[in-house]
Amino acid sequence: MIRDRGYFHWDGAFVERRLPWWPITRQGLRLAFKMKLFKFFFAGSLLPGVVFLAGVYISERLEDFKSMVRGGRVLFLTINPAFFKTYYTIDFLMMALVVLMLFSGAGLIADDLKHNALQLYFARPIRKRDYFLGKAGVLWFFLLILTLVPGLLFILFKLVFSGSFALLRSYPWLPLSVLAESLVLTVFFSLYTLLLSSLSANRRYVSIMIFGVYIFTDVLFGIFYGLVRSPYVALVSIKANLQQVASFLFGQAPAYAVSWVYSILILAAICVASVLVLNRRIKGVTVVR
Amino acid sequence: MTGVEEQSLVLEDIHFAYGPVAALRGVSLTMGSGAIGLLGPNGAGKSTLLRIMLGFLPPHQGRGRVLGYDILTEQTTLRRYVGYMPEDDCLIPGMDAVTFTAFFGELAGMPRAEAMKRAHDVLFYVGLGESRYRLLETYSSGMQQRLKLAQALVHDPRLLFLDEPTSNLDPQGRAEVLDLIVDITSKKDISVLISSHILSDIEYLCSQVVILNKGLVAAQGLLADLRRTRYNLFELKVKGETEGFLRKLQSRGCRPETTEDGLLKVYLPEGLDTMDIIRAAGEEKVQVRQLIKSQTSLEDLFAQTVGVD
Repeated sequence: MIRDRGYFHWDGAFVERRLPWWPITRQGLRLAFKMKLFKFFFAGSLLPGVVFLAGVYISERLEDFKSMVRGGRVLFLTINPAFFKTYYTIDFLMMALVVLMLFSGAGLIADDLKHNALQLYFARPIRKRDYFLGKAGVLWFFLLILTLVPGLLFILFKLVFSGSFALLRSYPWLPLSVLAESLVLTVFFSLYTLLLSSLSANRRYVSIMIFGVYIFTDVLFGIFYGLVRSPYVALVSIKANLQQVASFLFGQAPAYAVSWVYSILILAAICVASVLVLNRRIKGVTVVR
Repeated sequence: MTGVEEQSLVLEDIHFAYGPVAALRGVSLTMGSGAIGLLGPNGAGKSTLLRIMLGFLPPHQGRGRVLGYDILTEQTTLRRYVGYMPEDDCLIPGMDAVTFTAFFGELAGMPRAEAMKRAHDVLFYVGLGESRYRLLETYSSGMQQRLKLAQALVHDPRLLFLDEPTSNLDPQGRAEVLDLIVDITSKKDISVLISSHILSDIEYLCSQVVILNKGLVAAQGLLADLRRTRYNLFELKVKGETEGFLRKLQSRGCRPETTEDGLLKVYLPEGLDTMDIIRAAGEEKVQVRQLIKSQTSLEDLFAQTVGVD
């Protein structure tokens, strides 16, 4: 038996990783894909991207699809910034992002808190920021697949199908808008998820919070709006704030008559608060005073 | 790396407080190679000291070096060369033991493939070879204890911090883990600092001990030396009314204890000798029928040092 050899030394050499957090991200992705339900939801969350991609194709083949369009309403198939803004703000995509965060992110820190694993991480030569980046990397992977990748594919496919650069000539800033909007969604949802994951050691509570806070702020907005009819109450809704920022980034009229600056400030405040809380919650040792 | 230091651990005047509660009040200690036992009653500051040595907590005052690395400024590098087996059960749900162990080897800086190979080896070494592909959630407490040892060993540390390494183990498992630790420390060039409440384990494993009490080092050194210099315990058989005799001994700074089998154990402070016991007995009209110097044990040393039963 190997055990009979007794303890023996490892004769290899340590390596300095340029991305010391990468093993944490890789393990996080592995664990996420081990969940059967997660695979199902992940596949489902790709649906809006596929549908919109089909829209890009059809927009260049309108003649072929005319028989399928009744009443001549084909405005949806005009590929312009509004098309992109629609993709990034439709309820289905927003909900898909929330559900993905719920499945892939709820346990990221909560499980480590529950099972006392933080001290094992920090007994290794990794810093707090490496741990944070490693966990956030898992979320960024999924978020960017649903935001940046489809956005860039829409532009690429439009260029390929149309055979011209008309889209980029008309809207040269569009790739930057796609990038900025993807980053806004990615940074916000990853910090939002990690914040809630660090607040409890029970991943079920965290899942409820991720879903509940998102829905609750929107319901609150609906109730207040019904009472006071002021567009400013949109600022209490996470979804509405994200939609306001998306409208600005794609040069569209905002859904609510409130400056997008307020929305970006609110989202930024949530992100800053998340970083501060995470900095306090993530440590190698829990001190019971 | 500054090379393997002769002193694996040097701490100078370490202070730490949790708010108004002082946990460490000027701990200075030096540790050579081999196995060192860290002892102390609850709240003595053992865990705080371990956490400071690992860099989890920065000391409020004082400085220290572990394996030659400064615990304040070089803690990240230091952690590459130390292994830590915490007291709490630790796992990552959804992982099997090989993935778990290799993962922490990789985080220590091992190349991925080598971490995986080494994970298999150390899991066999700690006796989890057959169950290395099982999910960690299905592990018993004893298996989790071994797993913690495996993850602490995977990157081949030079200094191993073991916090209660035999808790949650049945007698056979305990004996096996103790044998592993003996194997690690006696045959190889790895130093081990063991914090444990099980004094017999420390006695079995360690040649040196550090006893903490109320945030201070109450005693440190080779176990044999400590027994010789600090230990002054006598066992008595007496006849007569012992109540007054015990009070008199206490008033002179002794610490008498009555054992279940009717013996009287008396810890003598420095400066007193057996004649003081005899005199006290005479004054209280108690007949001393037997007075022998007790067999030394770590338990007695610990009790005398920290002043507990």
